[in-house]
Order: sequence, then C-alpha cells, then structure tokens
Amino acid sequence: MSSLIDVENLTLQFKTDEGLITAVDNVSFSLKKGEVMGLVGESGSGKSVTAKALMHLNARNAVYSPESKITLHLDDREVDVLSLRKPSELQVVRGGAISMIFQEPMASFAPAITIGKQMVEQLMLHGDMSKAKAKEISVEMLDRVGISDAHKRFDQYAFELSGGMRQRAMIAMALSTQPKLLIADEPTTALDVTIQAQVIDLMKDLVNEFHMGIIFITHDLGVVAQTADKVSVMYLGELIEEGPVREVIRTPAHPYTQGLLSALPKLDDLDAPLTPVPGDIPSPLERPSGCVFHTRCSQVVGDQCMKALPERYDLDGNHSVSCHIYPKGARA
Amino acid sequence: MRPQEATGYGTELMLQFGRFVLTRALMALLTLIIVSLVVFSLMELVPGDCAERYLAFKNTQGSGISVADIEVERQRLGLDKPFLTRWTIWITNAFQGEFGDSCILRVNIANLLGQKFWFSLGICLASLVLAYAIAIPVGIIAAASNNATLNNTLKFISYFGLAMPNFLLALMIMLISTVWFGETLTGLFSKEYRDAAWSWAKFVDLLKHAWLPIFILGWSATAFALQTVRALMSDEIGKLYVTAASARGVFGRKLLWNYPARHALGPIVNSLGFDLNRIFNELPIVALILTLTEAGALLIDALARSNDQQLAGAIIFLLTASIVTLNFLTDVMLAVLDPRVRKSILR
Repeated sequence: MSSLIDVENLTLQFKTDEGLITAVDNVSFSLKKGEVMGLVGESGSGKSVTAKALMHLNARNAVYSPESKITLHLDDREVDVLSLRKPSELQVVRGGAISMIFQEPMASFAPAITIGKQMVEQLMLHGDMSKAKAKEISVEMLDRVGISDAHKRFDQYAFELSGGMRQRAMIAMALSTQPKLLIADEPTTALDVTIQAQVIDLMKDLVNEFHMGIIFITHDLGVVAQTADKVSVMYLGELIEEGPVREVIRTPAHPYTQGLLSALPKLDDLDAPLTPVPGDIPSPLERPSGCVFHTRCSQVVGDQCMKALPERYDLDGNHSVSCHIYPKGARA
Repeated sequence: MRPQEATGYGTELMLQFGRFVLTRALMALLTLIIVSLVVFSLMELVPGDCAERYLAFKNTQGSGISVADIEVERQRLGLDKPFLTRWTIWITNAFQGEFGDSCILRVNIANLLGQKFWFSLGICLASLVLAYAIAIPVGIIAAASNNATLNNTLKFISYFGLAMPNFLLALMIMLISTVWFGETLTGLFSKEYRDAAWSWAKFVDLLKHAWLPIFILGWSATAFALQTVRALMSDEIGKLYVTAASARGVFGRKLLWNYPARHALGPIVNSLGFDLNRIFNELPIVALILTLTEAGALLIDALARSNDQQLAGAIIFLLTASIVTLNFLTDVMLAVLDPRVRKSILR
C-alpha cells in the first residue's frame, strides 16, 4: 500500500512571553492509505499539536523548524502541507482531504448555528455543488452514522442532541467531504462507555467503507487496542516508541509505554495493584536534558539518560523505540 | 405531507414566540408597577407633603399661612385619601402620561417636562447607538487582529475615553469652538427656532446642536462599549467551535462574522439596558455645561434644590419606564438572535 501522509523531522515550538516552548521535537512517522494509527500520550505530550500540524492549524505563535516536512499524497498531486500559506490553498488540508473530529462535540459545533447549516457550509466550500445537493448529502451522512430522523436533526442545534448523537453528527460532518485522512482527537473521551463502544464501532465501519486513513489521538490504550493497526507513543513532544498495535501492547519496549500499560486496570485480575507512572509530566518550560523521560523513569541505566537524547532503535519488524536501555549500534 | 407539517410547525413557533413576547411585556409592566410603588413610597417618605411644601414656599414669599389653609390645600390635592388610593390614582395617571402638578412650580408636570424628556431620551439613545455603531465593528476587528500597533492604539484611545471626564471634554470643546470659531455651541435650538413650530428647518437646527451632547456622551460610552465588545470577542475567538470551523476550511470574513462575532452579539445586546442607564446618569453634568434644559438636570433640580417630589417622581418613573422598555426589547432581540434562549422559552 502506498503512503498517504509522511511526517518528517517535525519540530514545532511556540513563541511565548516566557520564551520558545518546544511542543514537538523531531517527530517522523508515516501513514498508509486505509491505515489506522493510534497516537498515544498524556496531555501535554504534543499529540494534539502534532495532529493540528497536519492541517497547519496551530496557533499563530507556532514556529516550525526548517527541517520539518509534511507531505500529503493525493491521487493527482503531492501537497507540501507546511508550505501552504493562503487560506484558499489550506482548504485541501482543512476539511478537504483531511478532516478532524474534536474531543468535545458540544464545543466544536457553533452553538447558534444549526448542524445542517454548518454541514452545508463545509460541503459548499469544498465542492462545487448547489445548496440543495449539499443538504441532500448532509442528510444522507447523518443517516449513515446512525442518526434517526436525520431530516429533523439537520435543522437542530448541537445543544438539542445527546452527547453520543453530537459526536455522530460531528463524524458525519467530518466525513461528508470524503476526506482521505481523518484525525480523531480523543473522540470518545467525553462519552459514556457504552456510547464509546458504539462510536468506535461506527468509526471502524466507516474506515472500511470509505477506505481512509485515521489518526486516532487518545490517552486510552484500550481504545487503541480495539481500533488501530499501529501505535505511536509520545512523551513531551518526542515520539518514543512505535510499532504494530499488538506488538507494542504485548511487548512494550519503552519504560514509559510499559508504565502506561501497567497503569490500566485489569478486569481479569482485580486484585492486582494499579501502578501509575510516577510523577507528573514536566512543564514544557523545564524540558529535561537528555532523555526527556529520565525524571520519571524507573530504569535509568546511567549518565547518558541525563545527557544524551536516545537514538531510535529498531526492534523486530516495524517496532522501534528510543531508549538508552537498548544498545547503540546493535540494530536489528 | 412534509411542507404542510413544516407550515404547521412554523405557525406553532410563531404562536409560541408571540406568547413569549406577551409574557415578557406583562413582566415588564409588572416591573414598572412595582417600581412605581417604590418611587411613590419614596415620594411619600420625604418629610412633609406637597401642600405643606407649597404653602411653606408661599410663606417665604410673604403670605401668612394657617394650619387650616394646609388642610384645605391637602383636601384639594387629595392628600387626605389613603396611601393605596393615592398610589392607584397616581399610577393610573402616570401610565397615561399625566403626572399632576409640580409642588412648587404649580404647573402641569406633563407640560413642564414637555418635550424635554423626549429630547433627553433621544440624546441618550443616539449616544448609545453611536457608541455601539463604532464599538461593534472596531472591537471585533481589534479582537481578531494580532496587529500590535492597532491593538495598542485602540487600547490607548479606549482608556483615554474612559479616563477623560465628560464635563472636561465638554468644556474643552466649548472653549475651542468659542475661541477659534466664535460659535457658542450651547442649547438645543437657535434662538429663532426655540419657540417655533416643528419644521424641517427646526429639525436640522436641532441636529446642528444635538451632535455635541451626543458626541460627548457617546465618547465615554464608546470607550466602555469597545472594552466590552473586545473582551467578549476575544473570549469567543478562543473557543473550540472557531478552531473546528477553521479545521473545516472556513476562513477570513466568513469565519469571523459567522462564528465568533455572531455569538458575541447576544451578550452585547444584553448590556444595552445597563449602558442606557449609565449614559442617562452622565447627562445632567453635560447638560449643565452645555446649558441644555433637559430632564436629567430638571431631576437634580427637583431633588436637590426645591424638594419637588411630584416632579422628581415623574422623571424617575419615565426613566425607569424607558429602561424597562429597552430591556424588554433586548430580551426579545436575544431570543431572536440566540437559539438557546429561544428554545428555552419555546416549549
């Protein structure tokens, strides 16, 4: 399968009154067509910022390093995302070939505009179609994601729908333009567990039907295990481990990933104590030297952890990790 | 089948909206009645009544007054009737624009106030409109722009507007106009029009004079409104739905006006009633300097100098009625603008 999007050496800093804050440091990954990738990390790990970079959507004070490169491969052309400047050029990555679903469906719909109006607006921005046609497609999409009475919902406002319904409407809106890549930023975090399962099932169906790539941002490894083909773990702006979802979950290589997994409650062994990763994610203003995780790591191997940024080490298959535990030069 | 259903739904909505407007109107009326009771009670709390006050005034003019005279006067004015009866009579008349006679001046209050109240209200409303006509577009653009120079300039102007007292501005403008242009900008009419019947020329003359108080009152009101609009807009711009809309490819003016600006409008409308009150409070000082004989100055005169409770009550009642009416209108506007408000009342 060919590549859909390539992210190379993405480094992103925010200019603030306190100085430059590094949010993403030299992150590279790529996603194939129809592939589902889980992007996992605590809040502040840079996963949302990374995702927004794909749409060139970060705040105005964001500074990309000159080495950063994001390439979107479309059927007819290649798009160098970070070189897009004009809003009209940006539309291809904003709601055109890439769509995004946000964590809070309530807050991501404009409160005083009907759902239908917002859907029609997006469709008419991205395709040359009449209002009537846009409405037809919108209602069809609402129907497709399992919203009953789609005709009526079309004229309703977000506050009139239930939480699960809103997220379905959000998904319908995101998919209406038939994007090649869907970015889902914690799409199920704000939902009840039962609704979560429904929404995840829906998303899985839609991936197959529309054959698009999905980047699933979450802090919930359980959700990733159910949905993703591969997973990337981020910590403080660094991509520390990536690989096929089963391998990473069964044999996590990085101490942080191991920590995240042992912090999950186990239903088959309720007496097992939860072992959270100790400490808090450091403030981005006080980025640790060397390996950024060493301040919380239980497996520090020596001075190099405090001094040198670990290099990427390839384990078997596509599984790789950035950690000093693994010997330099002993690449597989 | 569907179009008919839709029409049915529409008619139902219209009916519900009509009911909402009616309820709000009744509530406004109720507010006004309660306010009138408070105002009337306050009028009563002032030591002495109208009869005493008038005769005491007469006394200072040299006429001898006896207790019997006061009693006669009281009966003539109906002051011997019970409190509630008097209030009922007062409020019934007040709603018809009839406020009886001034205690001291012995002339009909409606005649005395005449057009003064309407001029005052007109000047205040015009200042309010001026303030928001400037503040809404400028505030929205300032909040959306990250141009530091523009933002700092606006901040400076706006703080300057807030810090500069109205009377000082009025004095400065008058000084400049008199010294440089040899024109006195006082009063609302030129001499030849003051007692003339209404005509187009008189109206033009009014505008020629009224711009100054409108400008002076609008000055600080604009500064204030600018702060409000900017703050509300900055707040809305930071919200997720704006990011979500730009993630869908909405950009430029469409994004700005349809999303944050559209949603900031509700709270702005909400602040109108409060602003009118503030402007009216500032009117007397400005009016004093510009020698406008407007209702605010008359109120201060009635309260402070002559203790004319009838006149003061009438003005306070009219002012409250204006604010209650404006609040009623903003409530209805809010329901039209914001579906959340609309849906919460239409059930």
